[in-house]
Amino acid sequence: MTTETARVVVVPCSGIGKTYGTVSREAAYEVVDDLRPETSQLVPLSLLVLGEEGACTAVSHYPAITIDGCKLACATKMVQENGGQVAHDLAVLDVYRRHRQFKPQGIAELNEGGQQLAHALAEEVAALIDEVAEGADWM
Amino acid sequence: MPEIRPKKVGIVACSGEEIAEGTVTRLAALRVLETLRPEETVTICLPLFLAGGEGDRAFARYYPTIAVDGCDLRCAARATEMYSGKPAASVVVTDMVAEAGIGPVDGRRRLNEAGQQAVEATAARVAGLVDELLAPFAGRRPMEPVPLTVQQPTSASCACGSGIPVQTIAVNGETVTLVALPLILAQFHEEGKRPSAETTHELLQATQIYNPIPAGQAELYAHALEEEYARYWQGVTSQSLVTRHPSLVSDT
Repeated sequence: MTTETARVVVVPCSGIGKTYGTVSREAAYEVVDDLRPETSQLVPLSLLVLGEEGACTAVSHYPAITIDGCKLACATKMVQENGGQVAHDLAVLDVYRRHRQFKPQGIAELNEGGQQLAHALAEEVAALIDEVAEGADWM
Repeated sequence: MPEIRPKKVGIVACSGEEIAEGTVTRLAALRVLETLRPEETVTICLPLFLAGGEGDRAFARYYPTIAVDGCDLRCAARATEMYSGKPAASVVVTDMVAEAGIGPVDGRRRLNEAGQQAVEATAARVAGLVDELLAPFAGRRPMEPVPLTVQQPTSASCACGSGIPVQTIAVNGETVTLVALPLILAQFHEEGKRPSAETTHELLQATQIYNPIPAGQAELYAHALEEEYARYWQGVTSQSLVTRHPSLVSDT
């Protein structure tokens, strides 16, 4: 047990070629900037790929919620590769299936549907962060 | 030495989500890929060097690659070199911004004005590097921008364009996966290189560009490649004959 602030690491997909990657990123930003700034921390995949110390320490100390943009699941795999514990792995496609009214389009900029889908995803992630934090032995 | 000519340049952006400059890399790469040089560029998600397969890891060995980094950690350049191959060129946004005298870049979710300028400057630099890298091969002229098309989210496959074709062959009874072999075989056939000792020698040389051949096993690889190419030659040639002369196909 530590005295550190409880944190959950959020790791989004870093894909640049498709809408789902943008949705995953937008949702992650909303979580760490607006919804759960005190209890969440964003870790970029590029730092994990490089094995950067701070990023690796974060994923090895705190449970992670990964948000993948495609079935290749880079975010989930990279957290596991770095010895992290994936508390929940979310896929944007699954979230879209639950919210088909929000049809995402656009990559550089999401359309209204994409923003709504990102928001719905962010809400799900925030709820999962609360759930993880409540039962956390790692705090 | 025979050479599989690079027709495209690979763009690897760091995409660093924690800083605004990472957003610049992503948007600049996208601008090059979809608007400035859509016919000449491909990309790969950086994590696929670890999370993907052998074809993904061969990306920078197959394509001359430009790494686009947000900061001097240079994750894209270093990770590409570590896991795939040394990038042919490298761009760092913070350096670009300083050189161009662009104001402080801010807003990882929504770039400020300076960030937008940095995207344009970075994209222009990368497009110029693409032209430089392909010039010796094609003597191409810079292309006019083409409109961005927005794709529909109908599937969950990765759009990064990764995945160099690979082929599995048996070398002395062991299964070996060779990167780019399908392309090499196709190119040799297109060039009319008939199976022969000389062709086998050239095949081995071309294969070695993309695949490490263990010391002392060159002959074994050459033998396996010889057999593989003979099969390929026969298969493609037979198919071609049937296409031109359908009567050769038996009705029974």
